[in-house]
Amino acid sequence: MVAGPSGCDRNRLKLLLQNRLPEDGQTEVESHLETCEDCCRQLEKLAADARWWDDVRRFLRPDQVAVPPHAPPIPEGRTSTDTPAGGSSASEEPALDFLAPSDNPAMLGRLGPYEIVELIGRGGMGVVLKGFDRQLNRYVAIKVLSPHLATSAAARQRFAREARAAAAVVHDHVVAIHAVDTAGPLPYLVMPYVAGQSLQERLNRAGPLELKEILRIGIQVAEGLAAAHAQGLVHRDVKPANILLENTVERVKITDFGLARAVDDASLTHSRFVAGTPQYMAPEQARGEAVDHRADLFSLGSVLYAMCTGHSPFRAESTLAVLRRISEDAPRPICQLNPEIPEWLCGIVERLLEKDPRDRFQSAGELAELLGQHLAHLQQPSAVPMPPRARYRSAAVRAAQRRLVRRVLLGMLLVLAIGLGATGGALGIRLALWRSAGEQEAADNVPADSSPAAAYPRAGPLSSLASETDPLRSEVEQIDQQLRSLEAQFKPSLEPQGGDPVGGLLRETEQQVQRLEREIQGEVP
Amino acid sequence: MSEIPQTRSSLLVRLRDPRDERAWAEFVEIYEPVVYRLARQRGFQDADARELTQEVFVAVASAIGRWEPDPARAKFRTWLFRIARNLTVNLLANRRKGPQGTGSTTIHELLSEQAAPAGEDSALVEHEYKRELFGRAVERIRGEFRPSTWEAFWRTGVEGEEISAVAASLGMSAGAVYIARSRVMARLRETIERFEDG
Repeated sequence: MVAGPSGCDRNRLKLLLQNRLPEDGQTEVESHLETCEDCCRQLEKLAADARWWDDVRRFLRPDQVAVPPHAPPIPEGRTSTDTPAGGSSASEEPALDFLAPSDNPAMLGRLGPYEIVELIGRGGMGVVLKGFDRQLNRYVAIKVLSPHLATSAAARQRFAREARAAAAVVHDHVVAIHAVDTAGPLPYLVMPYVAGQSLQERLNRAGPLELKEILRIGIQVAEGLAAAHAQGLVHRDVKPANILLENTVERVKITDFGLARAVDDASLTHSRFVAGTPQYMAPEQARGEAVDHRADLFSLGSVLYAMCTGHSPFRAESTLAVLRRISEDAPRPICQLNPEIPEWLCGIVERLLEKDPRDRFQSAGELAELLGQHLAHLQQPSAVPMPPRARYRSAAVRAAQRRLVRRVLLGMLLVLAIGLGATGGALGIRLALWRSAGEQEAADNVPADSSPAAAYPRAGPLSSLASETDPLRSEVEQIDQQLRSLEAQFKPSLEPQGGDPVGGLLRETEQQVQRLEREIQGEVP
Repeated sequence: MSEIPQTRSSLLVRLRDPRDERAWAEFVEIYEPVVYRLARQRGFQDADARELTQEVFVAVASAIGRWEPDPARAKFRTWLFRIARNLTVNLLANRRKGPQGTGSTTIHELLSEQAAPAGEDSALVEHEYKRELFGRAVERIRGEFRPSTWEAFWRTGVEGEEISAVAASLGMSAGAVYIARSRVMARLRETIERFEDG
C-alpha cells in the first residue's frame, strides 16, 4: 500500500513505541496504520526484529512441546505429573543397545532383517527407527516398544494383539502395518516409511490451515477412521502428531491405530500416569470410562479445531487441568478465534465436541460425507449445492426446544386440571382411561431408545430424551393429536356455556403447540 | 534444593563485585528450574532430578574460584551461563551412556571442556533456558500494561491469532492492536537484552 509522504513517519512510530506521542498524534498514527501495511511492519521492526517475533512464539506458547528444530521429538507434556510413563530412575534416552551390529558401518545396527539407518523419533510408547528392508529393497519405519512397557507378558501380548488388529485395516488413509514381531526382547512393528511431516509439525510451523486444506485433511482422516471402525477398531489417540502428511502427494495417513490402548494399559499398571498428551482425548476417555468409535470422533473434532485455530481446544498448564477442561468446559468458539472459518464448519466441530457421545455425529462415514459435500461445493459452487445447513442442532438449541415443550406441557396440565375440576369424576375416569391408552400408543410410536413416558405431563424429566431420531417432533405431533381428541371430548359439555376459560386455554395451548412445531420445522429440514 | 543457598553464601565471599553477586543470584534463579525440567524430561524421577540439579550448581560454584575478572575476557555472568550450559549438556549426555559414574573427577573433566558442545542436547538446554528467560521477563513486565494491550500482544504475538480477529474481539482497531503488540514486544526485548548484558 502506498501512503502519502505526510502519513509515513518513522520518527513518529519511534515516539509512539516509547509512548511519547501526544494523544491526538497517537490517534492519527493509529488510523494511518489502519491503511498502511508498510508502517505496520516498520513499527514491528522498530519494536524488535523478526527473530524476536519468532522467539516469542517459540518460547512463550504454553502448549509448545520442547523440541528444538531438527531434534527427534521428546515425549509430550511438560509438567512433572506427565513425564513419560513409568519413569524409571535410569535415563529414558533411547539406548539403541537392542540393535545387533550391522555389516554396513554406515548403519546404526540391525533389527531382525532390517538395517537401521537412523533414529527418526521417539514418543510415549518407544522409539521409531528408519530401517532398510534389503529383501524388498525399500525403506520402512520401525516402531519399537519401550523397554519399560515391554516388561510384562500381558503388555507384550496386548501390543501384539492391537498391532495385528490394526494390520487388518487396509485403507488409503491408514498407515499399513507390514509386520509385527514379538519374539525378540523388545516387540516392534514395521510400517512403510512415509516421507513427510505430521500435522502437529505443520501446525507448529504454520499455524491455522486454509479452509480447503482443513476439509481435505478432515475428510481423509474421517474416511480412514470409518474403515477402521468398520472392523471394530477404535484408534483412541487421534491427534495431529498421529496424522501424517505425505510430502509430494496430497495424501493423509493415520498412524498408531489401537496402540494407545496397549500403551495405556502397560503404563497405567506401571505408574498410573497416562503417557503422552491428553489434549485430544474424549471426555469419556478422560473419565476412564469405556469408549467406542465416537471417542475418535470427538478427538477428530479437536483436530479440526486445531486446524482452524492453530491449537487444541482444551489447553491448560497441567495434565489434570486439561482433563478437567475436556470434561467440563466448552471450548472457545472457533469463529471468535478465526473469522475465516465459516459458521457451518464451526457447527460441525461443535457437534463433534459434544460431551455426550450420543449428541455427536454417530459415524465417521457420515462426517466424511458431509465434509465432502462442503468441499465439493467450495470447489464448484455452481455445480454442487451447499449441503443443507442444519442437519443438526447444537446442545443449546435442543435445550431451548426442551424448555418450550415443557412450557406447553405445563399448559396442558393446567387444562387437564381445570377440565377435571369442571366436569367431575365421570370425566376423570374417562381421562385416566384415555391416558393409559395414549401411553400404549406412544410406546409404539416413540423410538425405542427414548423414554415413552417422557412424552406425558405426569412423566419423568424431559431432558432424558435421546436426540438421535428427533423424538421431539413426533412428540409434538402426539401432543397435538391428543389435544384435538381432548377438545373433541370436552366440546359438547363446554361449548353451550360459551366463551368459557377452559376452551380458550385449550385453543391457546394448541396455538402454542403449532408455533413450536413451526419453530422446530425451521430447524430441521 | 536446600544446599544451594548454603553454597551461595560460602562462595559469595569470593565475589567482591556486587554485580557478580546479583549475577549469581539471578543465575541460580533462572538455571535451577531449567536443569530440573531437563532432567525430568529425560525420565529422571523427582529425587534424581533434584540431585542432578544440585550437582550442577555445586560444580559451577566450585569452579568459581577459577574465574578471574579480566576486562579482556567474558563477564562473570556470561561465563557462568556458558559453563553451566556445557556442564548440563555433558551431564545429560553422560547419564545417557550410564546412569552412574559421575564422580568429582568427571565433573572437573566436564567443566574443563570450554567449547560449547554442539548437537541435540545443547539445543535442548538452550531451548529450556530461553523458555525460562522469556517466561520470567513476561512475569516481570505484564503489570506495566493494560489488560487489553497485553491480550492484544499475547494473542497475536504468542498464540498466532490474526490481527483482525483479535482487534474485533477486543473492540480495538487493527492499528491499535499493532501498536499494543509492538509496545509490549519492545519492552520484552529490552528486558531480556538488559538481563543478558548484566
